[in-house]
Amino acid sequence: MGSIVQVTDLVKRFGDFTAVDGVSFSIEEGEVFGLLGPNGAGKTTTISTISCLLSPDGGDVVVGGHSVSGAAMAVKRELGVVPQEIALYPTLSAAENLAFWGRMYGLAGADLASAVDDALALAGLEDRSKERVEKYSGGMKRRINIAAGVLHRPKVLLMDEPTVGIDPQSRNHILQTVKDLNAGGMTVLYTSHYMEEVEFLCDRIAIMDHGKIIAMGTLNELREVVGGMDVIDVKVENVSDPVLEQVRAIPGVSQANRTDSALQVLTPGSGAVLGKLVATLESEGSHVTSITVTEPNLESVFLHLTGKSLRD
Amino acid sequence: MHTLFVIAGKDAKVIMRDRAALLVMLAMPLALIFILGSALGSIGQGDSLDIDVAIVNMDTGDTGQRFVEGLTGSKEIEALFNIDVSDDAEAVRTAVEKGDLTAALIIPPDLSEKIAAGEPVGLEVLQDPGSKIAGGIWASVVRAGVANASAQIIAVHTLQEELAGAGAQPPASPGAAPRMPSMTFDAVAVREIEAQVDKRISMISYYSAGMTGMFLLFGSMFGAFGFVKERREQTLARMLSTPAGKLSIVGGKAVGVLMIGVGQFAVLLIGTKMLFGVDWGQNLGATVLVGAAEAVAAAGLAMTLAALGKSERSIGGIGPAAIMLFAATGGSMIPTEQLPKFLLPVQVISPVYWTVSGFLDVMRGASVADVLPGVGAVLAIGAVLFAFGTWRLRFE
Ligand SMILES: Nc1ncnc2c1ncn2[C@@H]1O[C@H](COP(=O)(O)OP(=O)(O)O)[C@@H](O)[C@H]1O
Ligand SMILES: [Mg+2]
Repeated sequence: MGSIVQVTDLVKRFGDFTAVDGVSFSIEEGEVFGLLGPNGAGKTTTISTISCLLSPDGGDVVVGGHSVSGAAMAVKRELGVVPQEIALYPTLSAAENLAFWGRMYGLAGADLASAVDDALALAGLEDRSKERVEKYSGGMKRRINIAAGVLHRPKVLLMDEPTVGIDPQSRNHILQTVKDLNAGGMTVLYTSHYMEEVEFLCDRIAIMDHGKIIAMGTLNELREVVGGMDVIDVKVENVSDPVLEQVRAIPGVSQANRTDSALQVLTPGSGAVLGKLVATLESEGSHVTSITVTEPNLESVFLHLTGKSLRD
Repeated sequence: MHTLFVIAGKDAKVIMRDRAALLVMLAMPLALIFILGSALGSIGQGDSLDIDVAIVNMDTGDTGQRFVEGLTGSKEIEALFNIDVSDDAEAVRTAVEKGDLTAALIIPPDLSEKIAAGEPVGLEVLQDPGSKIAGGIWASVVRAGVANASAQIIAVHTLQEELAGAGAQPPASPGAAPRMPSMTFDAVAVREIEAQVDKRISMISYYSAGMTGMFLLFGSMFGAFGFVKERREQTLARMLSTPAGKLSIVGGKAVGVLMIGVGQFAVLLIGTKMLFGVDWGQNLGATVLVGAAEAVAAAGLAMTLAALGKSERSIGGIGPAAIMLFAATGGSMIPTEQLPKFLLPVQVISPVYWTVSGFLDVMRGASVADVLPGVGAVLAIGAVLFAFGTWRLRFE
């Protein structure tokens, strides 16, 4: 299997600001490729360049042998796009929305009807297909948003943060949908700032920050980046900036940062650090509820490489 | 090409589900037609004191000219009438039939000849039956003018005879009456002729034409709303990521507005006919042509509005302002004849003007060929608006 998407030295600027700064990666046919990075990393800009909405200021993108610079139409025919925003017509029903997007890709007649039915089934919304999309919950809208990008059965599916702002049930449904589509042979580029999603779905992952790819590989390869380090997750309340500085100053702590309601600490040997860590936190009035020592995950990789959290 | 119509159909559907759009495009014009049209009477040159009349002098001698001078030279007559001296009898007749002129005087070619020969001769006074009073005033003015002129002519004749008698000629035999021309006051018959068909347009018909001409342009505003909404909500970006080209998208948007306009026109046409009994004239084809042309102009205007306005808010300001200006100068609210003269240049670029005039002309009996120049003007305006809008349109 060859690579179906090739991004080479891609540069995209908005005025003086370089949003994508020399990005290169390639996606093999049949894989789920993850683009992980915090908000503002340049994920959407990268996807928009692949889908020919933006033209590159440098480098090139080739999809199925066609360059976005010379053969945009041919590129678009290979792609399905699930935009970050819910791009649907609120006053049209789910079925009408799907039929419209199907027609935009040239589907008609019986093909269109069966594609719409399949897409509704994929979204799990067969019984509410005639309702206006504006009446749907956020999760249902997200599912139709995805269905609208895949009903023409594209070779490559570009998904831009498809689970933002939805309930866990809809999120699980969507993650399962991506797995199913991929099992059916669709190549997927999946962007997210949720490391769990990318860990769960993706064969290979590129971590992006400030317009650059800072690490790339399989999950295991990326874990290697952190080397033999231990990851200590401390569930703790109110860690102030001075406390964080004190933690970073503990001998043996190579990196420390806040995540949602926790503190993550990277260290070559957890045994030497744990006691001092708890003592420091408690003495400063931060209340520790639990401590776990785990294998490095993508969060720790990101922390290790950038010194900050994915969800800053 | 295929996707163009897919987009147009989708847009038409979206607008049809927009209650505000339906209210503005259908309910408002029908309500305004009803309210404005319920005023009494008919519109055009009413029985006001500025009565438009015309004189056509075809007389080959100079008696006719003396009549004309007698009628146009008087201050009192000028205060009452706008007198237009013309030599196109046919045009004047049609104008009276249409109600553009209240009355006219037509002086036959053989007036001087007949008078000299002492034969009876008739002057034609045409009147619009829709304004009998004004027409009657004109007829009596003409009669008085004729009497005056006759008296002068008789006086001149008599003087000539007397001078001749006092000269070389032998005196007439005693007792013989002086040879008077047989022309008298009665010999010049003033025939009052009513224009043949009543082409007066009732208020309700007038405002049906006026408001339809105005409100057909409102589709453009909703089309432009649709464009900026799609830009903001990213469905435009999504369309751009499909294999449909920009041309299909822009074309589809324009055709969507056109489709909505045609549907709106059908509803207004049938609605005014059924609800208010409006007579749109005998030539449905011509009426439809005029209306459809304006729907094309609305499609062009939609693109210009979408290019000029960054948001629904700004389009909601610019759109109605432009449409009101077009409508006010185009005769939607008051007949264009009653507008101040300095507004006339604006009329030419107002699609509403051409459309309303076209509708009114068809109501008065105009044919497809008659409305073609106006239709051409509207299509040209639409093409310019479309070209400008498409050139300036921003997709991101
Ligand atoms: N149209 C634009 N004009 C100016 N700056 C932009 C534009 N689109 C994105 N950016 C900037 O480029 C950077 C990358 O944005 P984006 O690709 O949306 O990031 P991500 O999808 O990873 O959150 C951000 O700093 C954003 O503010
Ligand atoms: Mg993004």
